Amino acid sequence: MRSITAYCQISEDACYVNGDVVAQKNEESPDSWFKQLYKDLAIEYPKFYKMDMLSQAGFLGSEFIKQTYPGLISSYAEDEVALLFANSESSADTDIRFKESYQDKGSPSPSLFVYTLPNIVLGELAIRNKFYGENMFAVLPKFAPDFFLQYGQIMFETGSKAVLAGWLGILEGKVEVSVFLIEQNKPDGLQFNKQNVIKCASPDDQA
Amino acid sequence: MDSLKEDLKKHIIEELNLEDLQVSDIDDDALLFSADGVGLDSIDALELIVLMEKFYGIQVTNPDEGKEAFLTINTMADYIEKKKS
Repeated sequence: MRSITAYCQISEDACYVNGDVVAQKNEESPDSWFKQLYKDLAIEYPKFYKMDMLSQAGFLGSEFIKQTYPGLISSYAEDEVALLFANSESSADTDIRFKESYQDKGSPSPSLFVYTLPNIVLGELAIRNKFYGENMFAVLPKFAPDFFLQYGQIMFETGSKAVLAGWLGILEGKVEVSVFLIEQNKPDGLQFNKQNVIKCASPDDQA
Repeated sequence: MDSLKEDLKKHIIEELNLEDLQVSDIDDDALLFSADGVGLDSIDALELIVLMEKFYGIQVTNPDEGKEAFLTINTMADYIEKKKS
C-alpha cells in the first residue's frame, strides 16, 4: 500500500503543511514571500538566494516536509528517493527575466541563464538532499492527478522506495505550489489515489 | 583603492545574490573561489566577467588572466587599476 505521508502547499500568501497553516505572508516585511519562508525554516543554505523562484518553490516545499518528517533523509538510501514534478509554465518566469537581462539591461545574466530549464529544480533537490534516484519534470497543459498516479507507480515498480512529488506553478507573481511525499507500507497518511493527489496537490484545492 | 574594493564587494554581493553576506564579511585577501573563503562557483565566475564589463568597462577575454585576477578582492582591484592606467 502506498500513502501520501506529508504534503506542503504554498500559495501567494500562506504556507500549509498537512493542511495546517505554518506561515503567513507579512506584507510589511522588506523580504520577498519566499525569503520570509526561508527565514522561517531557520536553516543555513546560502545557495537558496541564488536559485530562481521555481527552484526556491521546490526547495521550500521539500524543506517544510523534512521539518515535519525529519526521517525522510535518513530512512532511505541515496538512490531510493525519486523526484516527480510538473507544472504548466515550464521555466517561463525565469525565461522572461533572462530575456529582460539582455534586452533591457544590456548584458545576459549567466546566473539567470542556468535556470532557464524547468528540471533544474530537480538538480537543486538532488544536490541538497543527495536524492539520486529516478527523476522527472513534466510540463503539462494543466494539473493532472493521473500523471502523478501513473508515473509514480512506474517509479515504485522500478525500484524507488519513496517519491517526492510536486506541482510548481510559478509565473510572474503567481504562486501555486504543492509538494508531497509518497511512501510504501506506512500506516499513517492518505492513500495514494486520485482523490488524495487532488487534495494534496491541486492548486485549486489549497488547504 | 579602498573605495574601489568597497565598491567591488558591494557589486559582487548584489550581482551574485550573496544576500547572507555583508561588505564587512569579505576580507580583501580571502580566496573568492575557495570554500574557506567566499565560496563562489563557476557560474559566479561568469557573473564576475559580466560585472567587470558592466561596472568597469573591462572585457576579460583571456581565461588565464581572469583566473589570476579573480583570486581575491585585492587581485581584482589591482587588475582594474592596471587596466585603467
